[in-house]
Amino acid sequence: MKQIVKLTEITKIYESKVMKRALNRLSFNAEEGEFIAIMGPSGSGKTTLLNMISTVDMPTYGEILIDGIEPAKLSKNELALFRRRHLGFVFQEINLLNMLTVEENIVLPLTLDGMSVEEMEKRVAELICKLELKELLNKLPDELSGGQAQRTAIGRALIHRPKLILADEPTGNLDSKSAKDVLELLTEVNENEKTTIVMVTHDPIAASYCDRVLFIKDGEFFNEIYKDERRQTFYQRILNVLSLLGGHHDVSTVRLS
Amino acid sequence: MTFRQFAYRNVVRNRRIYAAFFMASVFSVMVFFLYSMLLFHPAIEDRFVQEFAVLGMGIAELILYVFTVFFLFYSMRAFLQARSKEFGVLLHLGMEKRQLNRLIFMETMLIGVGSIGMGTGLGFVFSKFFFMIVREIVMLPTLPLYLSWQPFALTIGAFLSLFILISFIAPVFIKTGKVIDLIRGENEETYEYPVSRVRGYLGVLLLVISYALATLTSNELVIRLFILLPPLATLGTYYFFTDTVPLFMQKLKLSRKVYWKNYRLLSISFGMIRLRENARMFFIVTIVSTIAFMSVGTLASLTSFASQYREMNPLGLVYISTLQNEQEDKHIAQLEEELKEEGLAYSLTKLQIITQHSSFSESAVSILNHKDVNQLAGELGYPPIHLEKGEALFLPPTNSSYQNLNERIVITKLKESDVDLKIDGAYPYHLFPSYSVGRNVIILNSLDYRQVQLNLMGKETSALNYYAFHVPQWQKTKEIGLSIHDTVAETFLIESSGNLEYAFDNPGLSYSIIRMTFSLLLFIGLLLAGVFFLATGSFIYFQLYTTLEQDRKRFETLRRLGLTELELKKIINRQLIPQFFFPWGVALLHSSFAFLSLQVIWDALAEISIVKELSIVLIGFTILQLMYFHLIRWRYLVHIRGTVQKV
Repeated sequence: MKQIVKLTEITKIYESKVMKRALNRLSFNAEEGEFIAIMGPSGSGKTTLLNMISTVDMPTYGEILIDGIEPAKLSKNELALFRRRHLGFVFQEINLLNMLTVEENIVLPLTLDGMSVEEMEKRVAELICKLELKELLNKLPDELSGGQAQRTAIGRALIHRPKLILADEPTGNLDSKSAKDVLELLTEVNENEKTTIVMVTHDPIAASYCDRVLFIKDGEFFNEIYKDERRQTFYQRILNVLSLLGGHHDVSTVRLS
Repeated sequence: MTFRQFAYRNVVRNRRIYAAFFMASVFSVMVFFLYSMLLFHPAIEDRFVQEFAVLGMGIAELILYVFTVFFLFYSMRAFLQARSKEFGVLLHLGMEKRQLNRLIFMETMLIGVGSIGMGTGLGFVFSKFFFMIVREIVMLPTLPLYLSWQPFALTIGAFLSLFILISFIAPVFIKTGKVIDLIRGENEETYEYPVSRVRGYLGVLLLVISYALATLTSNELVIRLFILLPPLATLGTYYFFTDTVPLFMQKLKLSRKVYWKNYRLLSISFGMIRLRENARMFFIVTIVSTIAFMSVGTLASLTSFASQYREMNPLGLVYISTLQNEQEDKHIAQLEEELKEEGLAYSLTKLQIITQHSSFSESAVSILNHKDVNQLAGELGYPPIHLEKGEALFLPPTNSSYQNLNERIVITKLKESDVDLKIDGAYPYHLFPSYSVGRNVIILNSLDYRQVQLNLMGKETSALNYYAFHVPQWQKTKEIGLSIHDTVAETFLIESSGNLEYAFDNPGLSYSIIRMTFSLLLFIGLLLAGVFFLATGSFIYFQLYTTLEQDRKRFETLRRLGLTELELKKIINRQLIPQFFFPWGVALLHSSFAFLSLQVIWDALAEISIVKELSIVLIGFTILQLMYFHLIRWRYLVHIRGTVQKV
C-alpha cells in the first residue's frame, strides 16, 4: 500500500515568552484509503499534528512527506496551490463563507483554480445527491441547520477530488443525528472514493467509525488500535484506552446506535 | 487597579485602534483653534477686508463644528459596536450597566480631553506660521503672535461640551439586549438585504436627468436649476448606492462565466457585502466630497478671475468727467499729486468722447478721435493705426467681441452732425477696461472728428472727458484717489449714481480687494477640505476596523483552503478600492457636471474658463486620496496578516 502521509520523528517547539514543546519525536504514517482518527486530551498536540499535515505549520525537527512531497521544500505560494489541489479540509466551526450560497461555497476551490463553468456544474451535480443538498443549493449558510452546513463544508472538501481529507472535530458542533449523518458520509466517501481521511476528534463515537485510532499524550505517541468486526466492541476498546490516557474527556454521553 | 485606571488603560493599550480617531479629532480641534486665533486677533479691526476675513473664519468654524459633531457620533458608534464583545464580557462578569456607561464616559472624555489639549497646543505652536500665511494673503501690515484667553476659551468650551455630550449619548449605541448576543457580536450581521428594483432604476433615472439638465443648461435656466438639481441629484445618489449598485451586482452574479472565474467569486461577493453595508456611508462621503470639490473648485476659479483682471483692466486709473463737472481740474490735479507722492511713474492721456446717434442702427454711439487713441496706444506700447477721412473702426467693448465686430462693414451717418462714415473692422488692441467708454464705440479720423465738433458747435451735445492714467506699477495704486473713491461710493449708496458729474475707477484698489477676498476664501476652503478629507478617510478606516475580526477569520479559512498570498492581496485590493474610490468617483462625476453648469454662469459673468483650476484641484485631491488608500491598505493588511500567519 502506498503511504500518503509519512511523518518521521516530528518535534514542534513554540517559542514565545514561554517555550512550549507541542510535539515530541512523533512518527505517524497513513496509507492510501485509510480512515484514521487522532485522539488525545486537550493540549496533547492533536491540532498541531493536523496543522503539520495540512502544511500550514512546519515542524521544528523531523521530516514530513505528504503524497511524496516535502512541504518544507516548497514556497508559500506552491504550498497554497498544493493545498487547494490535493487536500480537503473540514472544520469544527464549519467556516463557510456567509455571503456565498451553498453551491458557491462548494465550487470555491475550483473557481480559484480557474476551472470551466461546465465542469464545475457537472461536479456539483454529481456531489449534491450524495450530500442531500439538492434543494438547498441557492440558500445562504445562515439559513442552514448545523448538519446541512457541515455537509456543505464536506462538499467543499470533496469537490476537487483530493487524495487526503483533513477533518478537525467535524462533529464537534453538531447534534447526535447530524453527527451520525456526517460520519456516515465520511465513511462512504472513504470506502467509495478510496480517499484517505485524517480526523482529529474528542468523541469516541466518531472515532469508532475509523479504521484506526491513534492516541497521543503530551505530544508523544501513546497507543494505537485498529478496528475489528463490530463497531460496538471497537468503541469499548477506545473507551478503555481513553480511561488509561486520563485527561479531560466527556465519555459520559453514550449515544451509540 | 481603580476603575479610573481601568478606563485609562483601556484607551492607552488600544491606542492603535484609537489613533485614527484621535488624529482626526486633533486636527479638527487644531484648525478650529487657528480660526479662532484669527477671529480674536487684536490687530484686526474694522476694515472691510478684515471684517470679511473674520466673517469667513466664523462661518468656517461653524461648518467645522457641525461636521465634527457628525464625525464624532459616527466614529463613536463604529467603535462601540466593534468592542461589543468586550462589553459583553464585562457585563457577563457582573458589571452594572451604570458602571459600563461610566467606563465609556471616562474613556471618551480621556480621548476628548487629550485631543483638545493636543489640538490647541499644536494650534498655538502653528499659529505664528498660520498668521504669516494669512498676512501674505490679506496683505495686512503685521499680525503679531498674541496671548489671550479668548481663543482658548472658545475652542476648549466648544469641543469640551461636544465631547461631554457624546460621552453621555454614546452608551445608547451599545445594543444592550442579551449579554450572550454581545459576546457573539458578529453573528448579528445579515447577508439578506432587500433590494427594490423600482428604486434601483429610479436612482439611475434621477442621476441621468440631473446630468442631462446640468449639461444642457442655458443662461436663463441655470438659476432655476440651482434650486431643482441638488435635491434631485442627492436623492438619485442615495438610491444609486442603496439599490442601483446592488441590483447591478445581482445581475452580474447571474452570469457564471463572469462570476465563477478565479478569485472573482470571492472578490465580487466580498465587495458586494461592503457596498451594501456601507451604502449609507458611501452616500454621505459622496455628498461631502462633492461639496468639498465644489467649494474648492469654485474658489480656485475665482482666483483665476482675479488673475485675468489685469487683462480686462489695462489702465491704472480712470477718471471720467462730464463737461459740467466743476471739480474736474481739482480732481485731476489731486490724482497727479498723489501719484507723485507715492513715487509712481505714470502717463496721462485725455480723450474726448462725444455721443451721437447712428443712422444705421438708430442707437447711441460714442465716438473717439483716432489721434487720442493712438497717443494712448503709444503709452501702452501698441503701434498706431491709420484711418483715412471717412473711415472709422469699431472699438470692441470686450476682448471677445473683437472677432465678431472685425468682420462687419457698416455704412452710416452720424445723425446730429451729418458726417458720413464707412466703418470697416474693429480696433485690435485692448486699451480700456471693458465697457468703460461705452457699449457702442467707434474711432474716427481726426478730420472727421473735427468736422463733428464743428457741426455741433452751439448745439447741446453730450460729451465726456476721459482721463486715462497709465501706471506701470498698477497694483500699488490702491492708496491713490481714496477720497474720490469714497465720495463715489457714498453717492452710489445714498442716491442714484446718475447725479454725479464724474466717475472714478481704481483697478488697483478693486483688484487688491478681489484678490484678497478670493485668496482668503480659498485658504479657508482648503483648510476645511483638509478636515473633510481626513474625516472621510477615517470613516472608511473605522468601518474596516469594525469588521476586522470577521475578516481575519474569513481569510484564515481561505488561506487554509489554499488561497495564495497574491490572491489574498488582490481580493483585499478589490475590496478596498471601491471603498475609497467609488464614492470618490461618483463625487467627481457629480462635481464635473455641476461645474459644467457653473461654467455657463462664468461665461456670462467674466468670460473665463475654470477647466484648468478645476483639473488641478481634482488631480490634487486624487493624489492625496491615493496616498491615503495605500496607507490604510497597509495598516489593514498588517492587521489581517497578523493572525493569519500564525495559523
